[in-house]
Amino acid sequence: MLMRWMFTAALALSGIGGSLQVAAADERDYMVVVNRPNNLHVIDLAKEQLERSCTLPGDSAPGTVAMSPDNRIAYVLAGRFGKIWGVDISNCELTFSAELSYDNVRVKSLASLAVSPDGKEIYTIHNPTRIMNDHYKVLDSQFAVYHAGDGLDAKPQRLYPVPRQINIMQTGDNGMVYMSGADVYAMDPKSGDLSVAIASRSGVRPGYGQPDILTVWPIGRVSNEFIRMYSVAKYGDVEKSPEATEYFWGYERVDLTTGETAVEDFAPLEQVLFTGMHRPGHPNEFYAVLTQLKRHDVKAKKVIKSIDLERTYYCINFSTDGSKLYLAGTYNDIAVYNAETLEKLGNIHLPGGDMSMATSQVFSAPVSRLASN
Amino acid sequence: MKHLKPINSKAHQVTAARKEDTLEEVVAMQTVVGCTGTTDPGWEVDAFGGVAGLCQPMESDLYGCADPCWWPAQVPDVMNTYPDWDKGADSAGSDWRKLGEVFPSDK
Repeated sequence: MLMRWMFTAALALSGIGGSLQVAAADERDYMVVVNRPNNLHVIDLAKEQLERSCTLPGDSAPGTVAMSPDNRIAYVLAGRFGKIWGVDISNCELTFSAELSYDNVRVKSLASLAVSPDGKEIYTIHNPTRIMNDHYKVLDSQFAVYHAGDGLDAKPQRLYPVPRQINIMQTGDNGMVYMSGADVYAMDPKSGDLSVAIASRSGVRPGYGQPDILTVWPIGRVSNEFIRMYSVAKYGDVEKSPEATEYFWGYERVDLTTGETAVEDFAPLEQVLFTGMHRPGHPNEFYAVLTQLKRHDVKAKKVIKSIDLERTYYCINFSTDGSKLYLAGTYNDIAVYNAETLEKLGNIHLPGGDMSMATSQVFSAPVSRLASN
Repeated sequence: MKHLKPINSKAHQVTAARKEDTLEEVVAMQTVVGCTGTTDPGWEVDAFGGVAGLCQPMESDLYGCADPCWWPAQVPDVMNTYPDWDKGADSAGSDWRKLGEVFPSDK
């Protein structure tokens, strides 16, 4: 009977935006985020206060964070887009370090960071340039695989060719790495095989223009999704006349459990938004933020509620049960909101300076592991 | 190019190279030579031609745009050539007065 109940519960919790990560009795939600000049913060979200601050070996930007599958190690793309560090968030120990540049080749990565489902491999994108005395030579972009166990002077173990202009990436449960570029790509990191998961720039949606996409925030873990938003023109006539054209926000999504993809408009284009994601446990609700915080009904393609924020926040995230919203990025405080009412619940102030374009990651972890005392 | 004629030796070389098909292939760059990864003009207007869609206040957006070289002209290249431009100015909102101009150093 117990097994049957567990199976039923597992079914109820799966699906789009619905993978509620039910916390065990001794677990609670935590957030990891970085800010200037070189801080990595572990925040107890139940208490809405700082648990500990770790010092990174260098500059925080861009501050892209990917957690290991067991949520013990926070991997950070930082060091002016050129270094990856792994930090044990229970004691701030540096477990991993990789300098992307080598010899006279300068390598940068634009918010590209992911970890394999078994935690043994770390993925990023190399954008290399050979610096010569009198000229630069732009080299081809590469998908790079590092071994998490290689310690503090890690080198890439495998390199595969990839298209240019890739930024965020997320690893699916099946081991595939989904990447945001001109299209959404799926990379098999074992073989280097690359396919198009969602045809975006190369796709054709009848009656639509080309989608415009911006993202450098690999959010979506708590709603089990690779997610990026687009704005797009939908034409009302064959002449594409401005009078008959409507503009929409939409998203391109990959379910990280099943690999299923979706392209869906969710609201009229009213304001500029930077990040958005589904509310955990509520697959028809999509929230997005910049200087407004907006809650959307996806099926109805309508705004349920919109509020003006006190200031701009780049990066949205949810508690694992979908009850609270956490707005991060830009300055150095996390704004907390009730996800149902959009009522503000408070701010979590971080020591140090701006988060800038850092990505916040939310997850459940045992209190006994992360509590300071 | 048919309406342009080279009048000095360098221009002649450019024209000759083009005719001889000796130019290297031009490839799109992503994050490389200084802050020229994008051509976004910066603060002036939002996607609707107004200012309401710009980040508020502007200082909250400063490092988020400077770090990835989103503003190639308005701020120094902190990704590559001037990584210390913001040193000691961790909070753009309160430290913006500390942010100054930069000048190329003599090699």
